[in-house]
Amino acid sequence: MSEQFSRRDFLKLAGVGAATTAILTGCGPASRYVKREPYMQMPEYNYNGQSTYYATTCRECPAGCGLVVRTMQGRAIKTEGNANHPLNLGKTCARGQATLHGLYNPDRVTDPIKRSRGDASSTNVDWDSATQTVADALKNYKPEEIAFLMGTAPDHLFDFVSDLAAATGINAPVRFGALSMFEARATLSKAAENLFGKAGLPFFDIGGAQVVFSFGSNFLETWLSPVSYTRGFVGLREAKTKQRGYLVQFESRMSQTGTKADEWIPLKPGTEAMVALAIGRLAFESRGDALPRAFVDVDPLDVASKSGVKLETLERLAAMFAASAGSLAIPGGPSLGRSNGLAVAEAVLALNAIPDNFGKPGGVYFSVMAPNETESHRPASTQEMQEFVQKMADGKFKVLFVHGVNPVFELPKAINFKGALSGVEQVISFATFPDETALEADFVFPDHHGLESWGYQRVATGSAQPVLSGSQPVVSPFYNTRATIDVLLAAAQLAGGTFASALPFKDEVEFLQGKLTPLMSEAGGFFSAADINTFSAYFQQYGGWWKLDGAFGTPDSADVLNRNLNGAESEFSEGEFFFVPFVSPILAEAGANKPWLQELPDPTTTVMWNTWVEINPETAHELGLENEDLVKIVSEFGEIEAAVYKYPPIRPDTIAMPFGQGHTAYGRYAENRGVNPTDLLGQQVNEAGDLAFAGMKVKIEKTGKKLPIPRLESIMGVYGEALGEEH
Amino acid sequence: MATVTDLKITELKLSEAEGGKWGMVIDQDICTGCQACVAACAMENNVSFVGDVDSGYGRSMHWIRIERFWEGEYPEVKMTPNQPMMCQQCGSATCEPVCPAFATVHSQAEQLNLQVYNRCVGTRYCANNCPYQVRSFNWRDYERPEPLPNQLNPDVTVRTRGVMEKCTFCIQRIHKAQDNAKAEGREVVDGEFTTACAQACPASAITFGRVDDSESLVSQLIKHGHGVKHLEELGTLPNVTYFKGG
Amino acid sequence: MIKRLFDWLKQPLGLIAVGIVFLAVFSVAAYGLYTTQQSPAQPIQFPHKTHVAFGIQCLYCHPGAAKGPSAGIPSQAKCWACHQQIAKTQTSVLLAPLKEHVESGTPIEWVPVAQVPDFVQFNHRAHVAAGQNCENCHGDMTTQTIAENPQVFNMGFCLDCHIKSAGEDQAKLNKLADCGTCHY
Repeated sequence: MSEQFSRRDFLKLAGVGAATTAILTGCGPASRYVKREPYMQMPEYNYNGQSTYYATTCRECPAGCGLVVRTMQGRAIKTEGNANHPLNLGKTCARGQATLHGLYNPDRVTDPIKRSRGDASSTNVDWDSATQTVADALKNYKPEEIAFLMGTAPDHLFDFVSDLAAATGINAPVRFGALSMFEARATLSKAAENLFGKAGLPFFDIGGAQVVFSFGSNFLETWLSPVSYTRGFVGLREAKTKQRGYLVQFESRMSQTGTKADEWIPLKPGTEAMVALAIGRLAFESRGDALPRAFVDVDPLDVASKSGVKLETLERLAAMFAASAGSLAIPGGPSLGRSNGLAVAEAVLALNAIPDNFGKPGGVYFSVMAPNETESHRPASTQEMQEFVQKMADGKFKVLFVHGVNPVFELPKAINFKGALSGVEQVISFATFPDETALEADFVFPDHHGLESWGYQRVATGSAQPVLSGSQPVVSPFYNTRATIDVLLAAAQLAGGTFASALPFKDEVEFLQGKLTPLMSEAGGFFSAADINTFSAYFQQYGGWWKLDGAFGTPDSADVLNRNLNGAESEFSEGEFFFVPFVSPILAEAGANKPWLQELPDPTTTVMWNTWVEINPETAHELGLENEDLVKIVSEFGEIEAAVYKYPPIRPDTIAMPFGQGHTAYGRYAENRGVNPTDLLGQQVNEAGDLAFAGMKVKIEKTGKKLPIPRLESIMGVYGEALGEEH
Repeated sequence: MATVTDLKITELKLSEAEGGKWGMVIDQDICTGCQACVAACAMENNVSFVGDVDSGYGRSMHWIRIERFWEGEYPEVKMTPNQPMMCQQCGSATCEPVCPAFATVHSQAEQLNLQVYNRCVGTRYCANNCPYQVRSFNWRDYERPEPLPNQLNPDVTVRTRGVMEKCTFCIQRIHKAQDNAKAEGREVVDGEFTTACAQACPASAITFGRVDDSESLVSQLIKHGHGVKHLEELGTLPNVTYFKGG
Repeated sequence: MIKRLFDWLKQPLGLIAVGIVFLAVFSVAAYGLYTTQQSPAQPIQFPHKTHVAFGIQCLYCHPGAAKGPSAGIPSQAKCWACHQQIAKTQTSVLLAPLKEHVESGTPIEWVPVAQVPDFVQFNHRAHVAAGQNCENCHGDMTTQTIAENPQVFNMGFCLDCHIKSAGEDQAKLNKLADCGTCHY
């Protein structure tokens, strides 16, 4: 061959030859040499090419929705809602659908590993030495030096560690999650305690109501139990047997829930309590009733000037609220994440005394206790987390076990969880994914993914029936992971002493059966069985156990209005703009590593794959900012850079940012993408101990740079000058 | 061997009387815009995610998307009701006649607009001609790193670069339901199966079924509500009915 | 550049080069075609005709064909159920791999013979229910050892039969000749 005809050209021609063959034969020879491995022993219930369905429980958030997972030849193909499950009745949210992108995520922790903290590289260890490490940690330290920090799911592991703690004297496990932080669960519970004399999670029967006033509550997004509350919203809207219900949303930045409201009241942040009280007073006045103590001190005219809501609007809304028999007021969202959050919760809950809807359809209830729950339990408030972090920093905890939670990412940087870890001698994480906290651990002994796990989750709210939602492995573990309970059981045996005798279970399944046994004798269940094996088989088959009937608890409303309620405005730090971080309705607390969740457009802005900062178009114009201008947001605790999104329904004095992105670890789809608004937040908490996440003001600085952010609404693309070019 | 000319497939009658077979009803008043349908569709139909850069170029491959618009100026801003938009499975589709490869054809049996991936040569004429802008094109072989392919639905073809794709009304589920019914010697019952989006929707805003069966739930909803079909004035005979409500 | 190439190609040496290239392409194509018509190498030289001769029905080993899309390759447990009772299994050289796989508990990696491309959704059940016999597509197994592909499963083969079986029934033809019946 001469120099004109190179080897490369020859290969091209050979390629043409192969392609010709492929065309001539219909399918190329290469595709024929696929290997097929039949089962060595086919499971009896399997047929080739036919799916097998397993009921289990979604672990993308703590709500506990039932799933039915379609599997085929040992692979999980699709998650579907469990139609019999009382909480979600066959429905799922987007995160439930994308849970398979967690199961088959390319960046899972595949083996037990050992690392030096903060170092992304690691060395694999085997499970025997992993178990020995856990055993040594349990044995070599005093019980009070051992702490467990756990996520809000799953409950069976929490019960296990609680039992372990009770038997051995180690610290009782502490639970935390970003969702519960942004939901301000402690505030809701404390407000219920103050008003009704009993702590607990209120349930709002939106479906039965006619007029709903929501003070920032994001019940259609990630709040408490979004699938169940969405069903409630449908009930509100349904006009079959009653009038179509009316939803009014009071918030300074229109949330996704706000977009579905009939009316959006953009009040000044921090004035929610006084607006609620003013509505209360005006409602009583419109009826001509005597004012109760709760509403006496508020001056509607003053409230109107402070909150920016016109007096006529307040009067009109108050009259509407007073006139309807099915009125309901719901506190939630950023309005609770302020210095006066507890006062807001109390004032809004008190509004429900106007229609006196406590314990009535369309009103306020207490959530029911789940089947094996004895007292109402809530995750740690931020204040309790601050105490926990302080103990870590002070060296009071020598060993920290972390499961199902990512506090390095979720807690405000100002709380400095990462820094406090240096006070802990040994950090052992059970993370399934290589998140920020696992990166700061000495060891990661990965638990199975939720779809590979046994377990149960108590349904905390959203269903009148008490529900214990069951999990079972729908596929066999994909990697060299091990159930945390099995690791702890084996380690406890090795550790000996009180640990060896603390929990006499062979494995996780035996522990679960022990927890299920009391349910066999409980009346009202939709199934029962004489022996535990049959009972557990049903438990697996149906995806849990629940009672056929149930009723929400009725709050004691005798004294609700017979008290002074605080209508003072919230305090804010110095700054130009009120700062409202909100949980991304799509990503929630742990969705950033799932590629399809990243590609789902945000419901209000349609942004994908990035973080944005919402600024009112007028404000943006005054500041000379356009969409996708990169701005620096500065608080007294930190600064972050994000692209501007001109968002029409936000107050000109407010800016908002979604929480969910800004990971520095957590796999290829999450890493180095967007920013984390908790980097700006301080340590301030409200009276109930929940973080005042929306209680600060920030400054905006221009950077002069642009950052294109993908948006669905911009079908022409967002790169402008590069339009039409092949990228 | 048969040739194309041997096929005596009935010409589609484009009269108003010719209803479709499968149809959908979407209640925009209760759609919360939560994107569960979009995720469910992507998982069921092996839709590729394209990544941030290509998303920015408008190349994301959602088979169903939720449209929303802003009305008014602050503080009187309102969002228009969420509008899930997917292939309307037109009775007289504008995408069909422009395909030079006959890859975009009308199914006589199911009255759906088909996209035959192995025929598609990627001219993108159909997408340009679709008034609903619901077709998406595989600009690349989008990466699905191992082990993500384990999740792929074996009932749906995995598309490669240069192929157009769009909502199929979950035709694989239609076939499966019909096959099951046939095996049991009966007809498919209304509500026996549904599309992935309708199945997931937490608000039950999407209803799917036979529009040619007056007893089916979709037919009843269409009959008793004041629904609109989008861009009906173009004569596309869409099979998705929207209730604006509110 | 192109002109220079053409000039060069007109030289005798160039003509020889063209000839060589043509032969190379042709023989690669011919070889490719040849390989597709051969039974692929299988881990076990499975004699279909022997099994059929014993009167074993197709559906005994491939029961999926009557129930769903995939006929399925039997699990080795199924092979072993009979073979462990057959003395020859212990001695036969040809059966040694089976014994080995069963004893070591590793799956046998078969190479599928009758395949359709990924963009075709084939369902065995419908074909069996329509009265098609296995041999109509897979050939006469009483004469085959390792399964061979008697015909290329291309669209002409499928459609030919689909149209014939529809006959004069227009509704059936609409269904059987619909693109969406197999491609989605």
